[in-house]
Amino acid sequence: MERSINHKVFYPHPPEVVWDYLTKAELMEQWLMKNNFELKLGHDFQFTVGPIPSMDFDGIVYCKVLEIEPLKKLTYSWKCGPGNGKITIDSIVYWTLLAKDNGTELLLENSGFKEANFNVVIFNAMEQGWLANMNKIYKILNETKNGSTGA
Amino acid sequence: MAVPALDVFQVIADPSRREMMRMLSEKSLPINSLAEHFDMSRPAVSKHIKIMYNAGFISIEDIGRERYCTLKKDGFDELQKWISFFDNFWKTKLKDLETLLNNKIKKS
Repeated sequence: MERSINHKVFYPHPPEVVWDYLTKAELMEQWLMKNNFELKLGHDFQFTVGPIPSMDFDGIVYCKVLEIEPLKKLTYSWKCGPGNGKITIDSIVYWTLLAKDNGTELLLENSGFKEANFNVVIFNAMEQGWLANMNKIYKILNETKNGSTGA
Repeated sequence: MAVPALDVFQVIADPSRREMMRMLSEKSLPINSLAEHFDMSRPAVSKHIKIMYNAGFISIEDIGRERYCTLKKDGFDELQKWISFFDNFWKTKLKDLETLLNNKIKKS
């Protein structure tokens, strides 16, 4: 099961230009969504679009700026839900900019989905039998240790 | 029988419970069928089921005279739906940004 989103794009524009489009509210709005972003660590902001009832999404993405490394890195939380402040999706968006070939390679990672995340890990582990295998190994190791007394 | 409140680690730490969940990952089963596979008393099986139920790993539904256990996969499916949605979302948006940046160059 895929649990993170990754995209890599190359833009034939310097990182300064791409950075502006990632960090200036009025420029972000032109390609992303309406927002009240500010380039300040810890700043809480929202993106707003129209609600999407089929997704149980009220159209507001709640974010907080988590990391800023000018022209290189920008990280914010990315949470949304059906409304009334209920959050069903709790994830993180990571932007990374790399100057390359007279342009910018932009990496987007949207990951850290917390919802049922732990269950997913367990579920996958069960399906693949890993957990059972690891338990067997653990048992064998223990038995070997205890068995060495000749009992 | 008193059922202790366990965290997820404790829930999956038990080999019998793991085996029950593995069986339920294939299909829903009545508690009676589940119990047949295990060499333990019926109350002991019920206790394991209650523990998994309390921790949100399974749901229980009465069908006829049987109580059916189902592994709760809803959470996983729901998450997958959102990930696909945002995957497409970002793909489209990054394309929009490209168009925007390229138009900007043409204008300047």
